[in-house]
Amino acid sequence: MPKFVVQFAQFHEDFRLPELDALSQLENVAISFDRSSYSPISPFLIVDIASAAAAARLVRRGILIRSIFEYWASGQTYAEVFAETEQIRDRWALYKQSSFRFIVEAFGKSLAQEEKLRIIESFSYLGFEGAIRMKGAEAEFFVCEEYGEEPGPLKRVWFGRVVGRGSRELVERFDVKKRRYLGNTTMDAELSLVMANQALARSGTLVYDPFVGTGSFLVTCAYMGACTMGSDIDGRQIRGTAGFRRNTDGIMANVAQYGVAGRVLDTAVFDVTQSPWRAGALFDAIVTDPPYGVRAGAKRLGRRAGAQAMRSLQEIDGVANHLRDDYYPPTVAYEMSDVVDDLLAFAAARLVDGGRLVYWLPTVADEYEPADVPRHPALRLVANSEQPFGKWSRRLITMEKIRQADLDETDAGPAAAVHDPAHKNFRDRYFSRFEQL
Amino acid sequence: MRLITHNMLTCHVKNCEDPDKQFPLRFKDAKLEQIEAERNDEFLVRMLPRLDWAALLITANELNIALPEKVPAQPENDDAFLQALHTAILETHVQEGSMVCNGCGHEYKITKGIPNMLLAEHEI
Repeated sequence: MPKFVVQFAQFHEDFRLPELDALSQLENVAISFDRSSYSPISPFLIVDIASAAAAARLVRRGILIRSIFEYWASGQTYAEVFAETEQIRDRWALYKQSSFRFIVEAFGKSLAQEEKLRIIESFSYLGFEGAIRMKGAEAEFFVCEEYGEEPGPLKRVWFGRVVGRGSRELVERFDVKKRRYLGNTTMDAELSLVMANQALARSGTLVYDPFVGTGSFLVTCAYMGACTMGSDIDGRQIRGTAGFRRNTDGIMANVAQYGVAGRVLDTAVFDVTQSPWRAGALFDAIVTDPPYGVRAGAKRLGRRAGAQAMRSLQEIDGVANHLRDDYYPPTVAYEMSDVVDDLLAFAAARLVDGGRLVYWLPTVADEYEPADVPRHPALRLVANSEQPFGKWSRRLITMEKIRQADLDETDAGPAAAVHDPAHKNFRDRYFSRFEQL
Repeated sequence: MRLITHNMLTCHVKNCEDPDKQFPLRFKDAKLEQIEAERNDEFLVRMLPRLDWAALLITANELNIALPEKVPAQPENDDAFLQALHTAILETHVQEGSMVCNGCGHEYKITKGIPNMLLAEHEI
């Protein structure tokens, strides 16, 4: 199979391979590569793909992918690159009359304009006779000197023909600094977009966020073609009366901003642990950032033990309390490990077979073990990517529904824990700086 | 709130469990608004098996919305059916009013198209 090279962005490195796998599934493009050749400190990965058209399709929605190029040659020196290029003379002939351009980059170093021109000159043996076009060239050739993140010698020179690009321009388009409505829990644009890919959000699918907040995932998944729904226990977040950039249209302001009104179907106010959804598999994906109790109080409906007798049925001015417009049902704290276990049980019951659960799991960096990631017999772990913040991290967990399950399935939850998972009592530990409690 | 979402919501008050009564929720004082949206046949066809058609008919009847009695054998090839379905479930919004449970009588208010489905203390 022909070889291509994926050029990744050098951000969120732990998320790159999972995104590539998700794209492969989304676009139905088979890829194969040597996993041991992948390095988080290199932007390049050689992959086998059936054709240039398939390669272009594979990366088009990629947020952590800059481009994909047809592999022509690589080596530690230009001499090696030229020697390898000699082997594919028949390929040069294909582009002899095409309009073309050269893109020269260096990863880990700055190249002056004169150096770039010199490099381009060194490839003149290819004998291209077509016009040089900076825009709209029929063939784009790419040369990159890879130095790596530490200053040091040239590691590798890459040479090939660009066949496709990712969608990194969306990161700027969805930048939260430009967003009409946001709150202090709004997820950054890059990761919100990656989550849409992890969820396989696409035309024809229905995606749900049970902790919708200011609606970041509703708009990114809708942008990728899915129809979306969201709910939250706090109606003010949805309506726009909370948060630090208030907007009286709330989530709908962002929906208008990104032009996805036809696909962001609805939002509703309710507690997902007291969910009004009809029984059965309703959703293709559940995409969410559950409240850890740090920037947003994690709560659920309920009365604190020992609290006064139920107020709801008492009457004020002849009207039962719970029927008054100003009634807010009481809430209690919702502990993180319960939030996650409930989320998995909910996903197992409500996802269609093959559907995806994509959620963030906060964890204490020093104590985290893979066994901490909650399990459920109806869900298969697909990806686990870490975003580190020093003493704590959050992990983007992707799970896939493998078979139908009842909501009350008793073998849900983590296997007999050898220790308390690093996300237990996360909120208290965060505020006491992760001292031992 | 669109009718597709309404078709997926039931009453969830504790002890309100008669499936014939708690779903579908009955609209009261519903203010409707038709808002055009781009039709996506792939989505409509995929969602069809997840809809409760009998319930959708009851609701459509209540609101005087046109909807075919039966789902055709090959909906993906039936343009008229898909158009009617699209208009009913994706372009019809209930912006104000409430949804009432025929079983326990609980009223879920809808404000600016957003339903409030929080339960009172004694209902959970």
